[in-house]
Amino acid sequence: MTIRLIGYSASYPTLRVIICLKELGLPYELEPPASYQSLKDEDFIANKHPFGKMPVLFDGDFRITESRAICRYLASKYQGKHNDIILIPKDVHKAGLVDQFISYELSYYDPPLSKLVYQEKFAKKFFNKDPDPEIIKQAHEELAKVLDVYEKLLEGKEYLNGEYSLADLVLCPGTNYVYGAGHSDLWDNRPNVKNWWSRLCNRDANKKSFEEIKSFWENN
Amino acid sequence: MTIKLIGKSLSSPTVRVIICLKELGLPYELESPASLQSLKDEDYIANKHPFRKIPVLFDGDFRITESRPICRYLVSKYQDKHNDTILIPNDVHKAGLVDQFISYELSYYDPPISKLIHQEKFSKRLFNKDPDPEVIKQAREEFAKVLDVYEKLLERKEYLNGEYSLADIVHTYYVYGIVTHSDLWDNRPNVKNWWNRLCNRDVIKKSLEETKSFWENNENI
Repeated sequence: MTIRLIGYSASYPTLRVIICLKELGLPYELEPPASYQSLKDEDFIANKHPFGKMPVLFDGDFRITESRAICRYLASKYQGKHNDIILIPKDVHKAGLVDQFISYELSYYDPPLSKLVYQEKFAKKFFNKDPDPEIIKQAHEELAKVLDVYEKLLEGKEYLNGEYSLADLVLCPGTNYVYGAGHSDLWDNRPNVKNWWSRLCNRDANKKSFEEIKSFWENN
Repeated sequence: MTIKLIGKSLSSPTVRVIICLKELGLPYELESPASLQSLKDEDYIANKHPFRKIPVLFDGDFRITESRPICRYLVSKYQDKHNDTILIPNDVHKAGLVDQFISYELSYYDPPISKLIHQEKFSKRLFNKDPDPEVIKQAREEFAKVLDVYEKLLERKEYLNGEYSLADIVHTYYVYGIVTHSDLWDNRPNVKNWWNRLCNRDVIKKSLEETKSFWENNENI
């Protein structure tokens, strides 16, 4: 039974799940919602996401929401089944640290990053609002301080937890957007972070996913 | 080897971890940081939490931060070892849903109620700013909408995922906000019953009583 993913690939939480599916070698069908407004319809709220969000994943009859929870579920159920990519280590201590780094992404990395994604990519195109330079400046400064911490976290390591894991995956789609929207200095000016980002960009799943997104933006 | 928890017992996500440790029957030592300022010390940043937060847990030499990952780690390693409390089901689908509800708490429940608590309890004390009635009004309205969703999520269920789990525990430390805005919970029967059920669990009852009496008796943090 195929996995069904409801969301827009341009929305980076949806793209997070797409990258995860690709890394695990899982086939899936992407089903974009009828419109952004349709997420607030009674039917969507009752049968897809009670808070009117995407992505939503159906694995047969099993429904799960929230991109990081979806990724953890997919890794728990399918990792090692179609290929040998391990996103969550079996060792309970290593798995705990992967979880910790996912929490860092959520708590510290994503807030300023998501502001920049909205301002630079979505504000004008989808909401007809001019980007706010003050918000962009503040978010850029906040993300710079976060990346200073990541520069230390990556000292002597290729990936956040040593080996590639879900901890690295979760921040790829948003980073790709902001890196390409005039803020590449944030990553490029920090050698450990720069090398880590290059490594991530070279992964097949990321390469393919970023190409798909690039053509979305060029054609819309 | 004892588990060492660095945090403050009467505030913050430290309580979340304490409830989890108690539910799993795990002994631990609580170590309060010297002061809020000490979290910014180079030593703290290098050896405890790189983003200067609490709690931090040491299990022997193993160090882990961030309250929800700490809880998940404790459950993965210790559940079923000291008692038969199951906080994350073994079934991969049920575990996925517990994870999803933890994400709902983080994404939708926490932001408005944290705003309320910050405005009403911390704003004056820590930042010498008067509470902003407009922010409080908006946060209350936003939170009411979130609880409307929880009212439906809890339809015919005793706990978020049917059986008691980590998903319910992560919601329990907001007791200050609950005490002050109790109508938001009391006006929704499923939410009210769920909250009462949680409050009747020994571990949670004790923790919440400690937190509640702290807020009632203290002007200083």
